[in-house]
Amino acid sequence: SRRKRARARHKPCELRELEVSVSELGLGYESDETVLFRYCSGTCEAAVRSYDLSLKSMRSRRKIRKEKIRARPCCRPLAYDDDVSFLDAYNRYYTVNELSAKECGCV
Amino acid sequence: PVPVPPVPPGWRSPVDCVRATEQCAAEAGCSSRYRTLRQCLAGRDRNTLLANRECQLALEVLHESPLQRCRCKRGMRKELQCLQIYWSIHLGLAEGEEFYEASPYEPATSRLSDIFRLASIFSGMDPATASKSNHCLDAAKACNLNDNCKRLRSGYISTCSRALSAAEPCSRRKCHKALRQFFDRVPGEFTFRLLFCSCKDTACAERRRQTIVPSCSYEDKDKPNCLDLRGACRADHLCRSRLADFHTNCQATFQSLTSCPGDNFQACLGSYAGLIGFDITPNYVDASTTSITISPWCSCKGSGNMEEECEKFLQDFTENPCLRNAIQAFGNGTDVNVVP
Repeated sequence: SRRKRARARHKPCELRELEVSVSELGLGYESDETVLFRYCSGTCEAAVRSYDLSLKSMRSRRKIRKEKIRARPCCRPLAYDDDVSFLDAYNRYYTVNELSAKECGCV
Repeated sequence: PVPVPPVPPGWRSPVDCVRATEQCAAEAGCSSRYRTLRQCLAGRDRNTLLANRECQLALEVLHESPLQRCRCKRGMRKELQCLQIYWSIHLGLAEGEEFYEASPYEPATSRLSDIFRLASIFSGMDPATASKSNHCLDAAKACNLNDNCKRLRSGYISTCSRALSAAEPCSRRKCHKALRQFFDRVPGEFTFRLLFCSCKDTACAERRRQTIVPSCSYEDKDKPNCLDLRGACRADHLCRSRLADFHTNCQATFQSLTSCPGDNFQACLGSYAGLIGFDITPNYVDASTTSITISPWCSCKGSGNMEEECEKFLQDFTENPCLRNAIQAFGNGTDVNVVP
């Protein structure tokens, strides 16, 4: 089971989904309505580019210092889902955009 | 003259009017008569033109053509064109303005009780969760978890709640269009659950009332007279057709157990939903949980000597046992066949 867990951690970058209430989103809305929250999760080991290797090398040779850099790709949304609308606890409608991921990639 | 081809025997569903005109166009006799009739009806004074012998003859010939029996389908391609053809023939046949008009839409052939069965699954939950659950909230969840329903629901909600300026809280025209798209393109298993969910408390009933964003799509500064509203609706082919469909499928009758024509709840609910997004948009008048009252945004004030006709028109919404039974049966998940 330990091996299984390890393999689960190393799943490549992909779209996952959760059913959550609007209140749980933490955006300050009060509503019991349930929405589908899609997010990006997984590793990007296979997507390391020459750019990342070189950047790492520059940093280790101290040619780049004091700067905030990221020398490996990161699993993020490439596109966001359509708007989502809901009725809140005070009977007002709201529409939120770019709430949910639609497509993921190592960028 | 070339004889008009007879209607093939054993035709179960009538041909749609767009196809019927294509068939008619292929026949010299039919196509020239149809052109004549259209010219007869295009004139301002319909009655004078219909007294014309040539126009009468055109009507008689078309009686035997596929055009006579043609119908349209809700949400079909070229729906408006189909309805224009339908009314161009049927307005010629009608004596004058009738209180109830026949629906230009194909009758709902199958009972399609699947939607009711679905509703009964949800209402058949164990009592502990059922007493706490809010069916209207469950319906919103089901819609949000379906990409198509979610997209079109957000589409009309954002359009209907977007303020244009301080003076104009929303664009009613755009809101109505977005609502029509939602009810035409999303299957009834989602839209009916949102519209006709059953409620035990006010929060639920208010959510149900809010389904169509009534502040934009329904309410207005003043309430027009219902007959004026009907007149405006009848001037538009699409609205006129939806109203005729509602009258055909939801007209209360004493000849059936459920008060609905052919005991067909599904057809009544479908034609009710078909009115949303038109001048005649109906809605729940309040968030009452015990009594369901439906009405378009109009009153019978200022009806003059047409008061009786106005009340009769309004009561088909406010005091219609067929519509009320259909909504309650859906909310309880009981179609007529399911009732023990």
